[in-house]
Amino acid sequence: MTVEHPALALRGLAKRFDGTIAVAGVDLDVPAGSFYGLLGPNGAGKTTTLSMAVGLLRPDAGAAWVLGHDVWQDPITAKRLLGVMPDGVRLFDRLTGAELLAYNGLLRGMDPAVVDQRAAELLDVLALGDAGRTLVVDYSAGMKKKIGLACALLHGPRVLVLDEPFEAVDPVSAALIRDILTRYAAGGGTVVFSSHVMEVVERLCSHVAILAGGTIKRVGTIDEVRGDRSLEQVFVEVVGGRTATGEELSWLSQ
Amino acid sequence: MALPVSTGANPAAPVRPVSARHFVRLKLRVMGNNFRGQGWRIALFIGGALLGLWFAASGFFLFAAPGLADDGRYAVLVAAAGGGLLVLGWLLLPLVFFGVDETLDPARFALLPLPRRTLVTGLFVAALVSVPVLAVLIATLGLVLTAWSLGGWSAGLVAVVGVLAGLLLCVAASRAVTSAFATMLRSRRVRDLAAVLLAVTAALIGPLQVFGLAALRQADWNRLAGAATVIGWTPFGAPWTAGIDVAQGRVWAAPVKLLITVMALGALLAWWSRSLESAMVGATSGGKAPARRGATGGAVAQLFPRVAGWAGRDRFGALVAREARYWWRDARRRANLITIAVVGIFVPVFINVTGGDFAAMESGGLTAAAGDSSPVVVTISMVLVGVLAAATLANQFGFDGSAYAANVVAGVPGRVELRARMTAFSLYVLPMLAFVAVVLSVLLGRPGWIGLTFGGLVATYGAGLAVNSLVSVLGAYSLPETSNPFAMNSGAGLTKGLLTLLTMIASAVAAVPMVVAAALLGDAWLWLALPVGAAYGLGAALLGAYLAGDVLDRRQPELLATVTPRR
Repeated sequence: MTVEHPALALRGLAKRFDGTIAVAGVDLDVPAGSFYGLLGPNGAGKTTTLSMAVGLLRPDAGAAWVLGHDVWQDPITAKRLLGVMPDGVRLFDRLTGAELLAYNGLLRGMDPAVVDQRAAELLDVLALGDAGRTLVVDYSAGMKKKIGLACALLHGPRVLVLDEPFEAVDPVSAALIRDILTRYAAGGGTVVFSSHVMEVVERLCSHVAILAGGTIKRVGTIDEVRGDRSLEQVFVEVVGGRTATGEELSWLSQ
Repeated sequence: MALPVSTGANPAAPVRPVSARHFVRLKLRVMGNNFRGQGWRIALFIGGALLGLWFAASGFFLFAAPGLADDGRYAVLVAAAGGGLLVLGWLLLPLVFFGVDETLDPARFALLPLPRRTLVTGLFVAALVSVPVLAVLIATLGLVLTAWSLGGWSAGLVAVVGVLAGLLLCVAASRAVTSAFATMLRSRRVRDLAAVLLAVTAALIGPLQVFGLAALRQADWNRLAGAATVIGWTPFGAPWTAGIDVAQGRVWAAPVKLLITVMALGALLAWWSRSLESAMVGATSGGKAPARRGATGGAVAQLFPRVAGWAGRDRFGALVAREARYWWRDARRRANLITIAVVGIFVPVFINVTGGDFAAMESGGLTAAAGDSSPVVVTISMVLVGVLAAATLANQFGFDGSAYAANVVAGVPGRVELRARMTAFSLYVLPMLAFVAVVLSVLLGRPGWIGLTFGGLVATYGAGLAVNSLVSVLGAYSLPETSNPFAMNSGAGLTKGLLTLLTMIASAVAAVPMVVAAALLGDAWLWLALPVGAAYGLGAALLGAYLAGDVLDRRQPELLATVTPRR
């Protein structure tokens, strides 16, 4: 029914902070059912772009659509279809994991019985059940990512937007998150996530976009973008990184 | 006061000493960068500085009055009482109302190889660079004028030293006390004890006012002068009276008093330096959380505390439940609740009971004191309490910080959001207000006035909720993400003060009909006050949520951006 609409469409999104341009006109089409990786070095504007795409940050220019619904003109419908895990944003961390899930579920207008059942399942699958009555503020970084993911998944969104889901996560938790995301995508959902971990992107994604300096530098299916080279080589070339010559930082050797 | 920094691993490398100068420059730089590109912040800062100067000027003339009048009789009294109040103010006000400027968060220095002494000295000197300190300095220079005109240049010189030492004492006291309380509030084990201590400390303000007024009322200046002499020998009054002592021929007293000041200062700095250590290692100190009872029921059942158990299991209910939990679990919010409780009881008692005949209170107990308290006075005092209680919500979104993103992502309608927040806060505040109403009526010896007091309280509180919900949407500001519930961003203290003042005036104006009714309607009002007040308050609050909710719907992302701390 929404086949004609991309899961997420961005047109000319731009944002300027105090005179510096964070994002300078991003166009992006995320096909429904794809596993989309947004790559970029630190400060490329990934978080700003995703925040504007999900309704957390008002863009200076441009528009965003979720399955054809304008995020800024018709936020209620668009937000209902979205599951979001922002980065660098606190959760309501004076709640326990179960309380936080219940809060988010009811906030989304879900039936309490369904919330109970899904929360229990999510806590179990994400191995957060043992935390019991521990407040989220006392969780480890990996546990916080996992409970954040659970909050984003709880209401069964059609599109999942995750900002740095693998940042500061140990390999065990990362594997778990990867597994859940793969299952979600296989079930017809669309995942968009930002990252700068090449291995994860190469392994998971059907599509990638490379963002640097606030604009999209490369976009397409993963095979189109990397061609016959590795994704890392393409990335470093696009972003314009430098390689150490061995001359500088000589004082580091004792 | 430069101390060499040891590098441990590589002692051969030249190391430049770190001095207090660096801390001051760092603070000025951070303050300057905070202003960059934020015109309204600069305007607020200038406004605050002017306000400070105005207070400083009036303080100056107050302190200089005995000198200008060339009348030495009350010099010690003015110096000891005024100076003592200053120290007390620095000690208590940050805890209860203003918070401390934590431009330089001690935790940020945890990784630097700095000796604790350097750190304490640096932070202390940096704390001296602030508008309030400058204002107090200007005000207390009035004492120097007094000492100089009464006793010549030598007395003036001693007064200068005394005033400077007193100023250091004020700053050290505020830092040490807030830091110690912050440490206690951070540690889960003694957090509740700290809350009680805080309440008791704040409660001290009330009796002190009562005591002070009683003393003034009796107008026995000789006895007051005697008390002032005693205060002059405590750290509260010692620095301020040293110059006057020289002027009045008690030269031997000056060095002793300065010594008292220096010793108090040293003790405070040592205390601060101890609690600073725990502030630096962060929130994880202080033991594990007490074992919570095992989970009972499903996730939804766990979310709802008993106090919000009646709420529906829907969006509104979830918001109420989460807010109700937060008012208790978040140290910053809880400190605010305690403040309301304490102030809510003491302000009306102070206004009404001390408004009566004080001699009667001393001889015949509190109940005899209700002589000249009228329904109008009672209603006005209730307006004050209601306004104060509601003002806590003036930055309700700032408490949440970036966590508010969850509500934005979920697309919560503004009206539901604001109504739920009002409801959750009222779960705590309304019982408190009822308690205040009952206590006050009983103290006044007029139990029949319960309706009058509670009606006035509820009406003002409701009107205050309306005003504050609008302010919380339009005038929100971010709070620093430190574990110190008293910490404020630089400049935010002023924003907070001005906003609070503004909302309190607006809420008080909104409550004027209650006062007018109390004045005009006579005895009939005693019975009408409660139903009319309740209806008025509820109506105002709902109207406020309706109007402000509309604004909130339009600027959710902007609100999120303003309450997100800049990192």
